[in-house]
Amino acid sequence: MENNSKKVKYDGKPLEYDFDGIKELNNPIPPWLVYLWYISLIFSAMYFVYYHIYKLGDLQDAEYERQMAKAVTSVQKHHEESGQLNMVILAGDEDMADGEAIYKEKLCATCHGALGEGNAIGPNLTDNYWIHGTGDVASVFDVIKNGVPTKGMTPFKDQLSDEKILQVSSYILQKLQGTNPPNAKEPQGVLVE
Amino acid sequence: MEHQYFSYDNKIVKYFAYATLFWGIVGFLVGLLAALQIVFPAFNLGLEYTSFGRVRPLHTNAAIFAFVGNAIFTGVYYSMQRLLKTRMFNDLLSWIHFWGWQLIIVAAAVTLLLGFSTSKEYAELEWPIDIAITLIWVVFGWNMIGTIVVRRVKHMYVAIWFYLATFITIAVLHVVNSFEFPVSMWKSYSVYAGVQDALVQWWYGHNAVAFFLTTPYLGLMYYFLPKVANRPIYSYRLSILHFWSLIFLYIWAGPHHLLYQSLPDWAQTMGVIFSIMLIAPSWGGMVNGLLTLRGVWDKVRDSAILKFMVVAVTGYGMSTLEGPLLSLKNVNAISHFTDWTIAHVHIGVLAWNGFLTFAMLYWLFPKLFNTKLYSQKLANTHFWLGTLGILFYAVPLYWAAITQSLMWKEFTPDGYLAYPNFLETVTQIIPMYHTRIIGGMLYFIGAILFVYNLLKTAASGEFKNNEETSAPPLEKAPSKRIFGEAVHSWLERKPVLFSIWALIAILIGGIVEIVPMYLIKSNIPTIESVKPYTPLELQGRDVYIAEGCVQCHSQMVRPFRSETERYGEYSKAGEFVYDHPFLWGSRRTGPDLARTGVVTGKMYKPDSWHFNHMLNPQGMNVQSIMPPYPWLFEKDVVIASTPAKIRVMQSLGVPYPDGFDRQSEADLMKQAGEIADGLVASGFQVEPQKQIIALIAYLQRLGTDISKSAPNPNLDIENPKHSGLPMPLPTDANALAAAKTIYDRSCIVCHGALGEGNAIGPNLTDGYWISGGSPKEIYGVIADGVILKGMQAWKGQLSEEQMVGLAGYILSLQGTNPPNAREPQGELVEN
Repeated sequence: MENNSKKVKYDGKPLEYDFDGIKELNNPIPPWLVYLWYISLIFSAMYFVYYHIYKLGDLQDAEYERQMAKAVTSVQKHHEESGQLNMVILAGDEDMADGEAIYKEKLCATCHGALGEGNAIGPNLTDNYWIHGTGDVASVFDVIKNGVPTKGMTPFKDQLSDEKILQVSSYILQKLQGTNPPNAKEPQGVLVE
Repeated sequence: MEHQYFSYDNKIVKYFAYATLFWGIVGFLVGLLAALQIVFPAFNLGLEYTSFGRVRPLHTNAAIFAFVGNAIFTGVYYSMQRLLKTRMFNDLLSWIHFWGWQLIIVAAAVTLLLGFSTSKEYAELEWPIDIAITLIWVVFGWNMIGTIVVRRVKHMYVAIWFYLATFITIAVLHVVNSFEFPVSMWKSYSVYAGVQDALVQWWYGHNAVAFFLTTPYLGLMYYFLPKVANRPIYSYRLSILHFWSLIFLYIWAGPHHLLYQSLPDWAQTMGVIFSIMLIAPSWGGMVNGLLTLRGVWDKVRDSAILKFMVVAVTGYGMSTLEGPLLSLKNVNAISHFTDWTIAHVHIGVLAWNGFLTFAMLYWLFPKLFNTKLYSQKLANTHFWLGTLGILFYAVPLYWAAITQSLMWKEFTPDGYLAYPNFLETVTQIIPMYHTRIIGGMLYFIGAILFVYNLLKTAASGEFKNNEETSAPPLEKAPSKRIFGEAVHSWLERKPVLFSIWALIAILIGGIVEIVPMYLIKSNIPTIESVKPYTPLELQGRDVYIAEGCVQCHSQMVRPFRSETERYGEYSKAGEFVYDHPFLWGSRRTGPDLARTGVVTGKMYKPDSWHFNHMLNPQGMNVQSIMPPYPWLFEKDVVIASTPAKIRVMQSLGVPYPDGFDRQSEADLMKQAGEIADGLVASGFQVEPQKQIIALIAYLQRLGTDISKSAPNPNLDIENPKHSGLPMPLPTDANALAAAKTIYDRSCIVCHGALGEGNAIGPNLTDGYWISGGSPKEIYGVIADGVILKGMQAWKGQLSEEQMVGLAGYILSLQGTNPPNAREPQGELVEN
């Protein structure tokens, strides 16, 4: 009855059975594949032991805490090196160009119009009526930085550095204020002389 | 020995083959449409039925279940009859299987475009179709196992092992993942919620890849590759080892789709290590295939069929190495939510499944039609078009993925996101999307040549429905293992036992991973402040599901600095306990929305913004690639469906109060009215019952649960100090949330978003009060104001209930210690 079984010992010839003409050899598995298999098993076992038995590696919450702590240190270092920001209106061409780019890219234009004329969402920035603050650089800076979430003004403190907020504030005050763009929205807020 | 005469059923093979050709073209075409939509929103055609959120699931389902599915059945029906030397068990079952499957595909296409979707990837179909799939799958299995039982060949060849494993595992996966509670004919809610739903879904999703795209195709490879090459299989023992290790290990790897997400760390680790362990077993299949071709490499140059096979098997090897690499957490941190995943699956499906299907059918048509292939030259052209198509598809997407991921993660030295505007990271990769379209087109043109070539071949030949043949009958063998018989050899002639062992092998991983997620509470820590959705939000969530928002927007903030800076606090497992189904998503074509309702958060947009944006996204951001959703402004929420939805949620364990279903419609209208009033006040034209209102309500709810503080002892209505109010202070989350809306509208300007106070108004979170700190006194200040100090009287503008609500909300802010709090003013009051 031996022919009932496929022979599994390999002598270089095809196994006795064939399936619809398909024959099978029984070559040994290539050693590199066997080693790859062992390596993947050892890696996996070590991975598990490292993180869950000896708890040597950070799991995701701890990893996050570490990442954030590192970020705080590096930002602090950067600030120490770069010094404090002086709250004055900028006027240089480069600052104006940067300010304009930010105004158009960071979506200021979406709500305040390309020329600062305002639209259904945001107020006119070219007249001298102000809803928040008195139109000085510090209050414009503050509105851009911290936003007025309930009125739809997004805080940009997470998106723009202080330098950049100052550039765009200066752009608004230098280049938009006092212009008379078409389709300007009616004044809102308090007139500041 | 006397031969028995019988015939092979070729007609069923031909039908499945034609269905493969047809659905292949449909699937590729819909894919092309989706690729165009990503670059040109105009290709959404302005219709709800053809918007990307509905087209993409149609593409994936058509490619996987219609194209690959029919190809599997073609190959299985052809090869099984010949490997077992018998006709299929029952012709009627074969035909029920064929027509049933095609009907399911048609039903799937129609319902997906109509927006009937469960939102679970590759399992989007609603419950009636799920039941139909189950029945037809049983018919397929019955027919297959019946055929094995009446076989004339003692042992089952390795291809049959893979077919059996496919049948068993897909049955288990489909049934378990499709447990859903029907609300109506075309709407149901997954019985699983949040983390559990995510785990079950990706256990399914990953193994749909494993057992629908991989194991049946390995079976096809084991039959068609040695047939075409006319070479013996390289190693029988390798077949055994890689078969069992593959099916046992594959099932564990699902959690690698949820790395760094709100899944317990141990489950993520399972996903990582089992993926790594899968490399060698997967490669066992590639090695056995490629080494079988030893000695015929010279033929590969001339034979288009062999070329297709070599690229298919190589593509399989590449995907199965890439998959485990993507499962390493540090690689996944870069690749996940980007186009890398999309490129990865397309290497798998276009090369491995597509090319093997092409090879199989190029070989099969001349056989079935007793003729020669119409044109070898066209087949060669198809091969090069297809190969170039894959490269032009995948390479740009890898580039896009890495570019976008690095942009998401880049910080300026002063600690800001370098690309805070998500859209910038999208615009940057648009050129790569263009190239991807070219790749898809090349592949599609190749497929057209393929279909033409095969139809010409069919026309030139002669087809016989039944192929007459003969074989000796199967000798009866003892059931027990014979002395000297190898164990596996014995198992190969015991199909039932073989199937049971395969079932055990595939059950273990799923059980070990899924069961503890239910039984061990610490896996999903509870968050007190997380409350069920209001009826309107629930309806809005269903709009979100129907429109396929999840196709482009995740709701899962991972614990990375680059994500918490962009989106807000990272997501916690306990936030999703009422999410039937979960909506974490798998690709961020647009930004994450998990924190979009948090007013003080980074993602917040007012109602008016959402309103404008859904109507005309390009009006808000010129470069936006989001399609518009004008129909949400015309279609009404089916308000009458609300009570049934609430009742189903209650049955699933969502703690709505008893009888809440009866108030749910009124509750819905009230909330909708408030949102609509707000919009109308801002100058928009909208009615409260429109779908857009529900969707806005849902979006504004997202993430707000955990930004609210836990129930506050100050709100204890038993406290005698609380007397003197026109009604008790609010205690439930909905009332507090309503009060918060009023606070945000009216109080925030002077008291700060978190009650921290500012240059105008005092801090409301410390225990110090200028004009009294009892609930009654606070109520009095709100109602009558303190005109001399600038505090306005609100009684003309707010109802008593609203003012009591506000008092309650303000008390709930006590002790929250917000940042930038103003110094205390007035007297300390001990409540």
